[in-house]
Amino acid sequence: MSKNFFEVKNVDFKVGGKIKVANVSFAIENEGDIICLLGPSGIGKTTILRTIAGLEKIKKGSIELNGNLLSSEKENVEPEDRNISLAFQENSLFPHYTIERNIQLGAERNKDKKNYQVNLQEIIDLLDISLILNKYPHEISAGEAQRASLARSLVTQPDLLLLDEPLSNVDQSFKEEIQEKLKKILKSLKITTIIVTHDSYEAFYLGSKCGIILNKELKQFDDPYNVYHLPNSIEVVNFLNRGTLVPAEVTSPKSLENKDLGTITGNFIKPFPIGSKVKLLIQPEDLHHDDTSNLKFEVVDRKFRGTNFIYTLKTHTNTLIPVFVHSHHIHQHEVDEKFGIKRPIHIDHIVCF
Amino acid sequence: MFRNFNIWFLLSLLVSIIVSIPILTVLTSFFEETSNYYEILKDTFLFEYISNSFILLFFVLIFTFLIGTSSAYLVSFFEFPLSNFFKWALILSFAVPPYIYAYSLTAFFENYGTAFTILKNIFGDANYNKNIPKFDGMFGAILSITFSLYAYVYILARASFLYQSQNLIDLGKNLGFSKFKSFFRIILPAARPAIVAGLSLVAMETLAEFGAVDFFSINTLTTGIYNSWITFDDLAFANRISSFLLLFIFSLFIIENLSRKKAKYHLNSRGGFKQKEKTKLYGSKSFLSFTFCFFIFFFSFLFPLSQMLYWTIKFPENFFDLQVLDLLLNTLHLVLLSSLVLIVFSLISNYGNRVSKNKTLNILSTLSISGYAIPGVILSIAFITFIAWFDNSIIKSLGFTSIKKVFIGSILGLVLVYFIRFYSLAFNGIKSGYEKINISVDESAYLLGYSKRKTFMNIHIPFLRNSLLFIIILISLEIIRELPITLILRPFNFETFATTAYISASEDLLEAAAVPSLFLILIASLFIIISSKYILREPNE
Repeated sequence: MSKNFFEVKNVDFKVGGKIKVANVSFAIENEGDIICLLGPSGIGKTTILRTIAGLEKIKKGSIELNGNLLSSEKENVEPEDRNISLAFQENSLFPHYTIERNIQLGAERNKDKKNYQVNLQEIIDLLDISLILNKYPHEISAGEAQRASLARSLVTQPDLLLLDEPLSNVDQSFKEEIQEKLKKILKSLKITTIIVTHDSYEAFYLGSKCGIILNKELKQFDDPYNVYHLPNSIEVVNFLNRGTLVPAEVTSPKSLENKDLGTITGNFIKPFPIGSKVKLLIQPEDLHHDDTSNLKFEVVDRKFRGTNFIYTLKTHTNTLIPVFVHSHHIHQHEVDEKFGIKRPIHIDHIVCF
Repeated sequence: MFRNFNIWFLLSLLVSIIVSIPILTVLTSFFEETSNYYEILKDTFLFEYISNSFILLFFVLIFTFLIGTSSAYLVSFFEFPLSNFFKWALILSFAVPPYIYAYSLTAFFENYGTAFTILKNIFGDANYNKNIPKFDGMFGAILSITFSLYAYVYILARASFLYQSQNLIDLGKNLGFSKFKSFFRIILPAARPAIVAGLSLVAMETLAEFGAVDFFSINTLTTGIYNSWITFDDLAFANRISSFLLLFIFSLFIIENLSRKKAKYHLNSRGGFKQKEKTKLYGSKSFLSFTFCFFIFFFSFLFPLSQMLYWTIKFPENFFDLQVLDLLLNTLHLVLLSSLVLIVFSLISNYGNRVSKNKTLNILSTLSISGYAIPGVILSIAFITFIAWFDNSIIKSLGFTSIKKVFIGSILGLVLVYFIRFYSLAFNGIKSGYEKINISVDESAYLLGYSKRKTFMNIHIPFLRNSLLFIIILISLEIIRELPITLILRPFNFETFATTAYISASEDLLEAAAVPSLFLILIASLFIIISSKYILREPNE
């Protein structure tokens, strides 16, 4: 048996006989940890949650929770016997009960459990649903339904909580507040949680580990920092929209050479033999602006992102590279103007493929 | 899961087999010998049967379209005196089956009938008979069926009009359309699938109509089937004519199904629905709209009701001769038993489809709802044919006692054939209720620790409660009005209001038919009023 609290081993996740995500393995080491699964729409994230909940069966691999085998080719614990709660993305509230009754039905599941410590009112306040408690599901908005559904799942205090895009319908202004409170409450109740989302910032904030699902595979499963700064494949780079890949040649264990940018120094996250032709990831924060530099490129676009600008520059070889500049920078550059890059260029984590 | 799959599969298979018995029996008639009746009929009445059926169908469709669509348009888009009353009053015509309408029509306009009495009381003695129009024969049958069935078109057209968003109407205004042009260019085309669906139901009912056409002595395919069985005792030939009629009805059934699918698309108002504001009518427009709706309401409901009431009061002895309580108990007995059987099996089939997600099962269930398309006369005769064959070929050859009496002329047989006939009503009613429960609701229940049985009992049944009540009312309404199946398969000395009315009328005792007809109308009206809330549900309800 596994030492991890929850473990998925070599599972093919299928829907209607078709493989959505193949040969997936990941684990949650400790009870109370939160992990996030990221990926584009339709990739199979929800299938993974449904399978873990027991709503879909597996024909390969195994799923274990707290030392108990839940699913394998031969074994399948029924959903009602798993004590796993899934908050669906769509409205799954019981349509003929009020929101309050819906949540109470959730609370009834584990209220006799020894360590049941959910405070119903706290959850109602957290999700700001006190005003809709007496309403029926068809009388509330999609965002409210999603929060009510989340409340019903939370109050069950399950062994494993699965949240499918839990805040996708919640207003942006309210989202960060809920994220903070949700994380706090999950941690305080020690509820082990898997969150599926397509919002990378949500995943990086909530999860202690993040899994990236692309092209029917779990491409990377790592700390959010590593996923962000040390992506392990070109697909992950493209999915996270982290920057541009430019051609370069490794010139020493700590440097490489690019036609447009010249010599770049730093620490390779993965060693390459000297002389290797590689693709170097240039992320917006890797390059720094310097008006006095003689390395200048033409500005082709400027995006204002509140606290910063992201300039898109066209190099001599027609490659487009992004550069991050603080928005309080003393002056701005217009499209078609020249934009200087500080030299020498040093990148802490050199990501090459 | 697989254990459940087998139980659901077998139950649904059983239902499908029972329901497909009449169709199979009718189709196998081609392999059996018929009597000389076919030869006689081929040279005499067969063409008349076919042409009469078509003439009847053609005019009923035109009239129900005109009446149903225009009244639905008026009450959906305009406000005029009593428009809210007409909204539901116009469906009361469902309470008057075509055969009772036919009795009223004859009773009022016949020589020395009610019209004659009214004229005599107002203007004194004279020979008014030659001035009073006669609504009998084909014209009488067309009128009776039209006024009884137009509500199918009215209900579906109205629902479609109501679900048309104000945005659509505003778009027409924005394009500079007049009200007239908006109606023909936007409103009517958008409601087309719903209207076609309503007309298909009218067509199926018209071709299956027995009581009214028999009363007016119109020879149609349906009466031909009945006659070939009653007069010539030729079941094989009755079944052979049935197969032609079935073919035609199935074509209509397919058209109806196809158009209903489109109707769904048109009715999909999720998100962009904007409630319409009704236009208030004034002056002559208001008066004309009121008059039109009142005319329809009067002729479809008040007229037959008052005619039956008048006769009941005029000949009170008929009331005392009739065992009203017995008839009521018999009718309720059938209604309760059939509703129970239909609801239980339809729930099982629907739930089976939902949890097993099996495609074969889905197809089987869809096939088993075709019973509604088969006229009652055909169903009954096919059922008798099948039982006779089964009894002779299997039961007796195995040395058992005959089972004919168990099924023919028994409550069991009657309920079984009602089951086949009305299964689609119950199945589809529950299905549309189930469609409103997202599958993730079931899954949420499982994840809250509910078993499948507990999910069914605690989540589905309470949610479907209103749908079930509505279906029971619809089934009751159909059974109260139903004539041919009850007439053919009822036990000896077991009468309902419908059969008593028919028997009296067929013996030319129209006055005696009035009391059971009146009770039938009143009970059916009560059921309609109770269910009108569901039938006429508006988009925001």
